Amino acid sequence: MKALSIGWVNLKRMIRERSNIFFVFIFPIALVLLIGIQFGSGFAPGIGVHRGDDSPLSDQVVAALEADDSVLVSQFVEREDLVTAVERGTVQAGVLLPDGMQTAAEGGEAVEIGLISRPDGTGTQLQSVIGSAVSQVMTPVGAAQFAAAETDATFSESLGVAAELSEHVESIDVSVTTVGQATFPTSLGQFDLGASSQLVLFVFLTALAGSSALILTRQLGISRRMLSTPTPIRSIIVGESLGRFGTALVQGLYIMVLTLIIFQVNWGDPIGAILILILLAAVGAGAGMLMGATFRNDQQASGIAVMVALGLAALGGAMFPLDLFSPTMQQIAHITPHAWALDGYAELVRQGGNTLDVLPELGVLAAYAAVLLSLAAWRLRVAITEP
Amino acid sequence: MPAALRIAGKDLRLRIRDRSAFILGILAPLVLSYIFFLVFGPATTGSGLGLEFGVIDEDRSEISMSFTSVLESADAEDVIELTVFDERAAADGALEEGDVDAFFSIPQGLEQAVFSNQSATIDVIGDVDAPNSTQIAAAFAERFSSGIAASQLAVVTTASVEGAQATPDFIQSLSQDPSVAGMNYVLTDQTASTKQLDAPTFFAAGMAVFFLFFTVQFGVTGLLEEDRDGTLARLMAAPIPRASVVGGKAIVSFLLGVISMGVLAVATSLLMNASWGAPLGVALLVISGVLAAVGIMGLVASVAKTPEGAGNLGSIIAVILGMLGGTFFPVGAGGGLLASLTYLTPHAWFMRGLADLSSGAPWTDALPATGAIMVFAVVTSLLAVVLLRRRLQT
Repeated sequence: MKALSIGWVNLKRMIRERSNIFFVFIFPIALVLLIGIQFGSGFAPGIGVHRGDDSPLSDQVVAALEADDSVLVSQFVEREDLVTAVERGTVQAGVLLPDGMQTAAEGGEAVEIGLISRPDGTGTQLQSVIGSAVSQVMTPVGAAQFAAAETDATFSESLGVAAELSEHVESIDVSVTTVGQATFPTSLGQFDLGASSQLVLFVFLTALAGSSALILTRQLGISRRMLSTPTPIRSIIVGESLGRFGTALVQGLYIMVLTLIIFQVNWGDPIGAILILILLAAVGAGAGMLMGATFRNDQQASGIAVMVALGLAALGGAMFPLDLFSPTMQQIAHITPHAWALDGYAELVRQGGNTLDVLPELGVLAAYAAVLLSLAAWRLRVAITEP
Repeated sequence: MPAALRIAGKDLRLRIRDRSAFILGILAPLVLSYIFFLVFGPATTGSGLGLEFGVIDEDRSEISMSFTSVLESADAEDVIELTVFDERAAADGALEEGDVDAFFSIPQGLEQAVFSNQSATIDVIGDVDAPNSTQIAAAFAERFSSGIAASQLAVVTTASVEGAQATPDFIQSLSQDPSVAGMNYVLTDQTASTKQLDAPTFFAAGMAVFFLFFTVQFGVTGLLEEDRDGTLARLMAAPIPRASVVGGKAIVSFLLGVISMGVLAVATSLLMNASWGAPLGVALLVISGVLAAVGIMGLVASVAKTPEGAGNLGSIIAVILGMLGGTFFPVGAGGGLLASLTYLTPHAWFMRGLADLSSGAPWTDALPATGAIMVFAVVTSLLAVVLLRRRLQT
């Protein structure tokens, strides 16, 4: 009972601190939104187009480029802006459609289309996409130019014939099929991936940042005063653990519920999802207590907490999907509890698994929690009883 | 001004003994940028999109071989990485293993079909996880196919205009080779320079400027600590100008910021091979960036009531500006509202200034970004000075 009230006081202390309202409740949701906007729709290379004139031919080229789903096309009025956009990486390649391309084509000349790309490769690779779009438009034009040169017919007469015949010429079709199971199925919502990553990152970050509250409790002599009352050390230690654990759990539940309501994030099987959260909060509580019992200076501890929490999150795949890690880095990632929690959420959300399917992940997280909490309890007992 | 320097000297010693400035100013950004580089580096470096294609040619005709030679020349120019397979099973296996992103399968009878105006198909089989690479592979095949189609169309159009049949004899009678019809346009390369940071530099600079705003806090919030501990009243009673007290704290912030950025620039260059660019340009960006950080955190200190309050509000502002400024991941690359919002932060200008310096640009290329950062520095410093003076008078 005393342990519960110590835990409750810790939770109240966290919520009363106004800046925590931002870091615990506002910031994670804002980040899910930012990441969803920035990366949720997937990455498609961008192609910028600058048109020298408004001829039908340049209209057709732009339309052909826009029909390709693998690239995003944006138009630039000024040539200089397009060059700058390519240099800064806003778009990966630029296409310069020359002034008078229609006249050149009608006169039987080759149309010169400028291609702006950077030396690092992506632009050069997009050449095939650009070439394909341009050649679609230029094929009947080329046939008409050829016919106009070979016969007495004019270019525009030949173009009419070519456009009509192009329907009947059997050329080589290109059929595209894809195989394999998608790592990120299309059913995965725009915010789904970001939501579970941010949940794991923040639950651990908040729990670690809680270490400075524990240091303050020791610095201000609160723990010594608690010891002078007829409260067993065990209750104090359990109470402090409950405080860290409660804070992390409240934040985790908050992120889950809010992302579910605002962004319709799919969390999969609710029991499995909450069990992972509970164990992750316990791991975080253990780590936060261990830090709070080890450090003496709360400013140092909060600096280290931010570093460790962000570093482990990055290593554990909470900032960048684990699936895209190299095999070695995946092994390193699984040293962190984050990777196991994220594996669990991936199983629940992407594979539609249930609690039984995430038992291995739950087991590993429970082991982390047990080891860290025991270590922390031992260190805290030493820290608050030392003379 | 010796009073200001003396106050600064005392605070600096204090910060060096208490290791938190070292942790936030040097250790955390260094460790994090290295971890980020380790984790994200492989995904962000490498040449472009990393296209790995395979091809299997079952036709082995003139036409199919001309397609494979197009692919081989793209391979020779390092545009793609091509693997030639002898049988379908090998290609399927490579796709499954992720050794190729997509492969082309040219069926037997392709050339025969083209010559007899029958339909023929080149199959592009791609990895479901590499949709862009698969589409680009399809574009390679389509571009080749439209080249063939252009000659075919040229022949039939000419024949139709003449009222003749497109027989081999007719083709022989033409004065030009029909394949010129597909060559009625040229793509001319106009290689642009790169104004984007490579992965190690991006993470090094991003973390350095992100933590800079925490590091400079130690100086300016010192004023609130003096207030809390009662030493501020004593300083005020001493025969030194008030400006010296504020100035002393600002000098500490500035020095901590410059030391942290300087150490990080050198350390990341040596440890991670980060390339920050022309030293003079980097120095301008660092100094203006530190001034902006001092100004913003000074403003925070001037409105906060307690050192803890200043610390908390400062962290919130540092985190918001850092995230929005693209120090963790690039923000607003696709344009839109985010792209304009990001330039409301000194962080975004700092990163852009460094990007302008990349690929060996002269130091003067950092001037526009430096100017933008100085606007933040001047505006926030002036506001902070006015507010702090008013506060010290009461």
